[in-house]
Amino acid sequence: MIWLVMIAAGLFTFATRFIMLSNIISNRPPPWLADALGFVPIAVLTAIIVPAVLIDPASQTIALGDNPRLFAAILAIVTALVTRQVITTIGVGLAALWLLQWLM
Amino acid sequence: MQVHLAAGLTGSGLNLPAVPPHVTNGNLYPAQRSARPPTRFYRQLAKFLSCIKMRPSRPLLHLPKRTAAMAETSGTSLAPQKTRSARAEFWAGVRDETPLMFGVIPFGLVFGVLGVESGLSALQTILLSSILFGGASQVVFAQLWAAGVPAFIVGGSVCVINMRHLLYSASMAIYLRPLPLRWRILLGYLLTDEAFAISIRRFQHQPPGPFQHFHLLGSGLLLWTGWQISTIFGVVVGETIPESWSLSFAIPLTFIAVVAPILKSRSDLAAAVTAGSLAMIGQPLPWNSWLLLAAIGGILAGWLVHHFNQPAVDPA
Repeated sequence: MIWLVMIAAGLFTFATRFIMLSNIISNRPPPWLADALGFVPIAVLTAIIVPAVLIDPASQTIALGDNPRLFAAILAIVTALVTRQVITTIGVGLAALWLLQWLM
Repeated sequence: MQVHLAAGLTGSGLNLPAVPPHVTNGNLYPAQRSARPPTRFYRQLAKFLSCIKMRPSRPLLHLPKRTAAMAETSGTSLAPQKTRSARAEFWAGVRDETPLMFGVIPFGLVFGVLGVESGLSALQTILLSSILFGGASQVVFAQLWAAGVPAFIVGGSVCVINMRHLLYSASMAIYLRPLPLRWRILLGYLLTDEAFAISIRRFQHQPPGPFQHFHLLGSGLLLWTGWQISTIFGVVVGETIPESWSLSFAIPLTFIAVVAPILKSRSDLAAAVTAGSLAMIGQPLPWNSWLLLAAIGGILAGWLVHHFNQPAVDPA
């Protein structure tokens, strides 16, 4: 079953990459669709980020004040805005998380 | 077109003349034009060349008329200004893509670790990297599947996340459509966020060449190779990494690194805030469908603000 879903999702993903290169569809997507698709990365990635930061993985509850992940994430956002480097952001974020977990 | 085709072939560096140019009386590559019978590949190439827009005033290859005297005084072969060869385009693609690998390889490692951690088998985790070949969608697939979410929600979430590739293939279409089908299939498969971002710059901002698609092949193959190797590595070392390292936190960190710098307009912010809020509000929903809800809600919010908030005057 899992293989079936994997392959189906893989085929769909390939189709999204290939369909405009094929001769099946000759038009560009309409402007409204192109505009909407432009927001996909921001919407999807933010939707993954926020719960991963705010929900404590151990207790599965929302944590704000005593949440080392939140502080580490804020530091990571600042790092990302300043350096624009993925690896530095991961490094700073993880280091901050480890430090805070050790302190708290 | 004949001249352009010949220029493209000699430009490929396959058959540079062994005879010094001055022996041939300034006619640089006389033998080659007749030596090669036009095979199917070259006919395709000619077709491809005739499709791309070229400034008519400037031929692809300008062969300077050389005299024997010039050759003797300079002592070196005067290199003609030539189109970039397939090999040159390929390596340019690899080189341009390299800086992005510093973000891709850690992400691949983390995905490998996370895939196994969330309950996929090693083989499933590794093959997911070549079947889906899209970081965010693979993470979502692994996490949703591990949570026992129904298949149609898993599939639907992956599809929404990967819909954005339509934009990439649409932008690439004018450059890649003239290629033979097998090229388009291969390049379509390799068309990821990172490879697109790098190679579209070459297509748009550098003069067209008969082998320009090799640039995408180079950037795409480097990315693919790095992604597969780092996934495998992550799967292998994942078992030895203790839970207390909280390495799964590297996933949201990676996404923070991607999203934070691209939040520029009010509509971007609307999309992010809506998606983030819906992701939290939707947590009690069954089947982890909060992700689908938040993604669609965020896209809609961004689109609405963009649509109804287009400034009449340029703010700058």
